[in-house]
Amino acid sequence: MHEASPSSGSNLAETWFLRRAWQPFPFQREVWQAVRQGESGLLHATTGSGKTYAVWLGALERFASVAASPDKPASLTVLWITPMRALAADTARALQTPVDELGIHWRIGLRTGDTGSAERARQSRRLPSALVTTPESLTLLLTRADARQAFGQLRMVIVDEWHELLGNKRGVQLQLALARLRRWMPELIVWGLSATLGNLQAAKDILLYPAQGRLVQGRIDKPLAIDSLLPPSIERFPWAGHLGLRMLPQVVEQIQSAATSLVFTNTRSQAERWYQALLEARPDWAGLIALHHGSLAREVRDWVELGLKQGALKAVVCTSSLDLGVDFLPVERVLQIGSPKGVARLMQRAGRSGHAPGRTSRVTLVPTHSLEVIEAAAAQVAVAERRIEARSAPHQPLDVLVQHLVSMALGGGFRPDDLFAEVRQAWSYRELDHAQWQWALAFVRHGGHSLTAYPDYQRVEPDESGLWKVPSKRVALRHRMSIGTIVSDASLTVKFWARGGTGRSLGSIEEGFIARLRPGDCFLFGGRLLELVRVENMTVYVNRATSRKAAVPRWNGGRMPLSSELADAVVEQLGAASRGHFDSDEMRLVQPLLQVQMDWSSLPSETTLLAEVMKSREGWHLFLYPFAGRHVHLGLASLLAWRMGQRQPLTFSIAVNDYGLELLSATALDWLHELTPTLFDTDDLLHDVLASLNASELARRRFREIARIAGLVFSGYPGAQKSARQLQASSGLFFDVFRQYDPANLLLTQAEEEVLRQELEIERLEQTLTRLQQRRLAVHQIKRTTPLAFPLMVERFRESMSSEKLADRIRRMVAELDKAAGPGGYQPEPHADITVERETRRARKPRKRKDGTPAPPGTKPR
Amino acid sequence: MNPFLPIELERTELWLLADKAIYWPAEQTLLIADIHFGKAAAYRRLGQPVPKGTTETNLQRLDTLLQQYPSQGLIFLGDFLHAPESRTPETHAQLLAWRRRHRLLEITLIRGNHDRRAGDPPVELGITVVPEPLLLGPFALQHEPEPHPTHHVLAGHLHPAFRLHGRGRQSLRLPCFCIGERVSLLPAFGSFTGMMDIGAGVAQRLYVTGQGSVWQVR
Repeated sequence: MHEASPSSGSNLAETWFLRRAWQPFPFQREVWQAVRQGESGLLHATTGSGKTYAVWLGALERFASVAASPDKPASLTVLWITPMRALAADTARALQTPVDELGIHWRIGLRTGDTGSAERARQSRRLPSALVTTPESLTLLLTRADARQAFGQLRMVIVDEWHELLGNKRGVQLQLALARLRRWMPELIVWGLSATLGNLQAAKDILLYPAQGRLVQGRIDKPLAIDSLLPPSIERFPWAGHLGLRMLPQVVEQIQSAATSLVFTNTRSQAERWYQALLEARPDWAGLIALHHGSLAREVRDWVELGLKQGALKAVVCTSSLDLGVDFLPVERVLQIGSPKGVARLMQRAGRSGHAPGRTSRVTLVPTHSLEVIEAAAAQVAVAERRIEARSAPHQPLDVLVQHLVSMALGGGFRPDDLFAEVRQAWSYRELDHAQWQWALAFVRHGGHSLTAYPDYQRVEPDESGLWKVPSKRVALRHRMSIGTIVSDASLTVKFWARGGTGRSLGSIEEGFIARLRPGDCFLFGGRLLELVRVENMTVYVNRATSRKAAVPRWNGGRMPLSSELADAVVEQLGAASRGHFDSDEMRLVQPLLQVQMDWSSLPSETTLLAEVMKSREGWHLFLYPFAGRHVHLGLASLLAWRMGQRQPLTFSIAVNDYGLELLSATALDWLHELTPTLFDTDDLLHDVLASLNASELARRRFREIARIAGLVFSGYPGAQKSARQLQASSGLFFDVFRQYDPANLLLTQAEEEVLRQELEIERLEQTLTRLQQRRLAVHQIKRTTPLAFPLMVERFRESMSSEKLADRIRRMVAELDKAAGPGGYQPEPHADITVERETRRARKPRKRKDGTPAPPGTKPR
Repeated sequence: MNPFLPIELERTELWLLADKAIYWPAEQTLLIADIHFGKAAAYRRLGQPVPKGTTETNLQRLDTLLQQYPSQGLIFLGDFLHAPESRTPETHAQLLAWRRRHRLLEITLIRGNHDRRAGDPPVELGITVVPEPLLLGPFALQHEPEPHPTHHVLAGHLHPAFRLHGRGRQSLRLPCFCIGERVSLLPAFGSFTGMMDIGAGVAQRLYVTGQGSVWQVR
């Protein structure tokens, strides 16, 4: 370690680079210069490009010259915000190196949910000079009664991976925290680091609002190679259910040929299954390949990450849990199993490879069904043309605001007028009006207008001097426990069964999945085949299992929709195909599928909207292909169903995927006659969509997240007694009670607005409708399920939507039950009855009820 | 529409009511499971803003039943009060006012798991509190659905619901009565209570309730 005097502050960064014999990039110098001048900004740079040194050395140069000694390090000067606590330790290490080498007397500290009590106690006495933390932990620090004093010397905030936070409520939580810090320290310098986005300018403005700041262009992205792994032949009836394991031999071959590969999947279940399949294919890879996803225990993930850094692993099967973070130099190849979903996401994942000198980033797409082959072709075009998605911040989410009010009441209390002004300095709340503010105040004080003067309710109360505070210690504790905006289902710890309960923890799993299993049942978790022993005190006890049959947990993480950019690129490929152009290997491969589609129906294109109608034993089907992503399709399907329901009482079952939607009616419906352009009108859109929400379950599901964040549903203290569960109610129950007794509650309004904005993406829906109106509606009466309709037909996730009276629905279902009644009780019609043409060559019959594949409704294990 | 459905169980006629209760005509008695009074109040006490009105709704529904089905007795099959925090002055006042409207009614509570934590109802309510089982005719009235050696058990506790499946892949989840060989279950009466799905396997007969009617499913 070199000892140097930090007094020569003005060229500290240059000095350090010189010492290391490194040449600074121009963008690094630009950031140093800007920080020197006290400017804020956004640095656009990918991981591994030296962005950390750009902002960190800039900070050291400007602030480290403050006299400090080893026994009394500088007080908190820089905050480093990271979206994932897993990244915090690595970041802290990276920040430590120049501090040591330059002999700066700064202490670098960590504060995340994982931070131990000793370190927390130390920090409560004195915060370190630079603190690496997450948005949640920052808010928690701000609830300290002495927060203002503790943060008094703060000079700079750096937000790493801002693109990850920008579009969600965690980002909003951070905006609010920044607004508070800026009010205390108007000179505060804020820098964001962001990967490529379609709207970097807006990303900067949101972070720095109301200031402007500087946008610095980082090192130009290194060359990116995208290719795809194509099967020798394709299925003409594409089916998302089997997770693409057909491609296993080719994937094994690719992994074999590279030193280290990352195998990205889109879901945790898919990762579990692929890991297991790889091990079965290559038992000699045991110990050389590993699994990494967000539900695995911290120690397991640490071990995998360490193995990656050291180059000890041949391959890691992972989910978005490895999208971010420090670079793993040994990674040569990235494979993406299934749809890449978006252009930015694909580029981000590709960027995880090829960091060793002289290498390019390379990603290989592995389509899991035939339609994804088309996506692979489209993704290559979209990346080449850099059609990168934009990302915007949520618009004044009231649940986050309500949570923030309680946090600020804890953090020394607040005066409403001051806080109102402060909150409006956060971009997402810049248009918050007085009425909404008054509602939020009333909500934290009385629980909403309907509860006014209810004596036993109190959360935040003004004291005699008008300072709003939390009077109850119990409420304060509950609030601190539940700060945060990430919502997941109640999850249970998975542990090996051992006498005395000393078994090792494997990770966590959602309650809903375990509830469907009985002791003795087997499931895959953490790459192991496990047998359920018992469930007790929020813990799932398991043993190793030997059985071959196992269920794969389905974690209810949100399913990501295909981005508009990628969807448009897919439609362009189909349009070209309809004009007879098959210009790539991918498109030539899927030509037989597209030929069947054209023979039985037609292909969608940039100018036509394809609709297919069909009668099956299940009922009357409509298939429609707007190619606008699953969220928009869900909104569109609810809208169409509701508008149809205004003409006659009907109940629909709705299925959607990224390409299209299906409306299925159990009662006779003349689709050819009913499918008119007025159904696609944009007039009264908002009204109709809101009305359709009331008739479906969407708002109710959305309310789950809102209720948690706003503090309605409390997920419990760790290790709480069973009696604590008697005080937990499901958000669904809350939703019903609010609907019945307090229908004007703004949280309900917010649930609706969020469904509109996020689940249904109303703006995208409106654009889609406008675009659909310009397209020619091509309706085909089909006799059998076409290649495009087939995946919708077997889609497991279904919504329902009804304009019938409940009594009529019950009567009909009971009557159907009676009809079907036999000694074994009710058996729903299995899917085998759908009219899929069998005579076509090589059209494979779907494998039924194997793991991971859709089982007919009603046959799932209870 | 059939607001009630008479069934025969252990050679006794019982009426399954659409409003999630059982009426026993021979005894002129209403059986109510899992009413969970004061649940919303308990939440409010803990700083969770649940709207008011659930207790009032529960009491009105009881009034309606008592009016429609001549009753001398009312038996709660456990979980009368939700939690210790439910013992608020307001809930207490509401219950007392309701009790004054039904002075002659004989009310019995069979202690359930929530009652053990929440404590017995206030004495002024004039409710006889007994541990399970309460033997009455051929039935053992209980909170928890544990089989009884000699009597057929009528119990609550589970808040049973059944999922109906229909054509066109439709489904509906509704509260239900499960009539079994040794143990039968009542749906939860309380308006602020959840439900638990019951498979078709456990009961011999299943009746769902919805839109003011009782429907036999199997």
